[in-house]
Amino acid sequence: MSAPRGRMPPRPYTDDGDELHFCTTCAFSSACLSSGYDKAHLRELHVLVEHVGPYKEGEHIFREGDPFNVIAAVRSGTVKTYVIDNEGREQVLGFFLPGEVIGLSAISHAKYPCNAVALESVLLCRFSFPNIAALATRMPGLQQRLFTLLSEDINKAALLAGNFTADERMAAFLVSLSRRYAARGLSARRFMVAMTRTDIANYLRLASETVSRVFRRFQDDGLLRVDRRDIELLNPEKLEELAKNVLRE
Amino acid sequence: MTASYAFDADIVRKYDIPGPRYTSYPPAPQFSGEFTEQTLRDHIRRSNAEPIPRRLSLYLHIPYCFSPCFYCGCNRVITRDRTKGRHYMERLVREIEAVGALFDRDREVVQLHMGGGTPNFLRPDELQEILESIDSHFRVSLSDTRDFSIEIDPRFIDPADIAAYAHLGFNRASLGVQDFDPEVQRAVNRVQSVEQTLAVIDACRLRRFRSVNVDLIYGLPMQTLAGFERTLDIVLKVRPDRLAIYSYAHLPELFKAQRQIDPSTLPTPETKLELLSLAIERLSAAGYEYIGMDHFALPEDPLALAQANGTLHRNFMGYTTHADCDLVGLGVSAIGHIGDCYSQNARDLPTWEASLDCGRLPVWRGLELDFDDLLRSELIEQLMCFGRIDIASLERRYEIDFQSYFAGELQQLQPLIDDGLAIADNRTICATSRGRLLLRIIAMCFDRYLHSAPPGVSRYSRAI
Repeated sequence: MSAPRGRMPPRPYTDDGDELHFCTTCAFSSACLSSGYDKAHLRELHVLVEHVGPYKEGEHIFREGDPFNVIAAVRSGTVKTYVIDNEGREQVLGFFLPGEVIGLSAISHAKYPCNAVALESVLLCRFSFPNIAALATRMPGLQQRLFTLLSEDINKAALLAGNFTADERMAAFLVSLSRRYAARGLSARRFMVAMTRTDIANYLRLASETVSRVFRRFQDDGLLRVDRRDIELLNPEKLEELAKNVLRE
Repeated sequence: MTASYAFDADIVRKYDIPGPRYTSYPPAPQFSGEFTEQTLRDHIRRSNAEPIPRRLSLYLHIPYCFSPCFYCGCNRVITRDRTKGRHYMERLVREIEAVGALFDRDREVVQLHMGGGTPNFLRPDELQEILESIDSHFRVSLSDTRDFSIEIDPRFIDPADIAAYAHLGFNRASLGVQDFDPEVQRAVNRVQSVEQTLAVIDACRLRRFRSVNVDLIYGLPMQTLAGFERTLDIVLKVRPDRLAIYSYAHLPELFKAQRQIDPSTLPTPETKLELLSLAIERLSAAGYEYIGMDHFALPEDPLALAQANGTLHRNFMGYTTHADCDLVGLGVSAIGHIGDCYSQNARDLPTWEASLDCGRLPVWRGLELDFDDLLRSELIEQLMCFGRIDIASLERRYEIDFQSYFAGELQQLQPLIDDGLAIADNRTICATSRGRLLLRIIAMCFDRYLHSAPPGVSRYSRAI
């Protein structure tokens, strides 16, 4: 069946790159360009930049234990990573938006340490990790970028470990989404949440009902407007204020 | 914002053309059999996953009637055998269990409507089993703003049963009257005394029902101005909180019962117009607000208040004050509206029963709304509820440029503007007081499916 598209026009896929140009959401374009490489050079270097997808909603991109050889940048859609704990319960590790890179946590292993699943139709840009690592040794900007991505990935997971209120967690979640969309040139104030409330709840370590209650309260307080999965931040300043403990600012 | 309404016979005559009633957009004839049980399950799952899952509104269809009213176009089964009611109730409870299990438990039921057919074909103890089942398989709101309504045929109820209904949680009632004129009643095979009708209304008030609605119909066989005026006198004297004045649509090719009506006894189109004019005049003088389509309400009724403060909505059950509900249809032929889809249950009893007996949801057909459908359905709902289209809000919510998106539709609207039915500027399109009674004609300009309807027998009744 076709996915319901909601009350916003279908988002253009950020699939605007071609043989000679980077996609606007590319996780590596600025690093490469600042090092003097463009996509044509990358081709010559035999770094395979492979566009794959679309993955359908619910389709796995990799599973825990699969041999690790590629990292992938999200070009369009949202990806969730998770593990199954010893009691068989799912633990959501994170969400990846356009321009963000999945598979980084596998770098120190030979295998992926988690599962990655598409939450909606997802397009990826796949890189052979050995090749990009080799390229990074010759391209300081790219190496820097990889280190940054890695440390962001580690920090993201640690952020929610503290003793925060439900309001603080939700505000931090929304502020983080807003900033990440903005960083890719998408709207910071209005976006769709592809993740289910169960996933959000799991990630924030709250009950599903609590997630909805907080969304409803934020809406009643005029902080945001929720229209199905379409979220509009009406008072980002107040949300930033609520989020600052979690985001360590 | 209470809009006035004016009756203009020439305009009404000119625009008396068949069209959908827009209890849904796209209208039900667009539903398709490609929509399956699995599609419905997927949409319910998605609806549970939203940041703020919507509250629930349940519609329960009871198909049986003791006797056939000849004007009826509803899905119903005529029988005097009350044991059929018990068997139906048992299967309905199974459907409630199966469907209730699909919704997250924090989704409150804030509205429930039992329609038919004749819900009071079932005995109070059977209704009780249904409501108890709903109570254990859904989370039912305990708020006093919840609406539990039931359609009542006053001919087949002991007014004492109203106490039982109140005890079950019903707080609104809708009574069919149509016309008290004995000639008309005989011609439509529905003989119903004023006394038994008023006894039921009194019982509802005694049991503190929050509102009583009365349905009238104009355009019935043998109907006269004098007779209908007497009916209006009687009805307005008891001041029902809500009144619906439906137009009788004679479509004997579609509705078998209507073949019992002798077309030569039907009022002429001119008389029909006069009947409508009379009803509107009398209701207006009695202080009723026009809600839209066929519906009127007292100014202090929640429907009129919701229209005034912009929170009125329209769905398969008509107008409602409950915004943002997913509508769950239960029972044979019932229609639901969950997330971005419509779904309808099997229309015939054997298929509905067989599905439930083998553990399947009895989905017959449905429709997944795409972006364009959602946009137009919101536009038409605005029109039906408030008599106006808020261009700015649609542009913001749907990120469109209204003038270019609807360029063709705006051209179609122009003759209606020229005839004084609507006025338009850059921010709103507004039905005038003359256009208020012809909202569906304005809405039809924005109906993408109307132009692709197959020729032949019209599926829709006329506007008046």
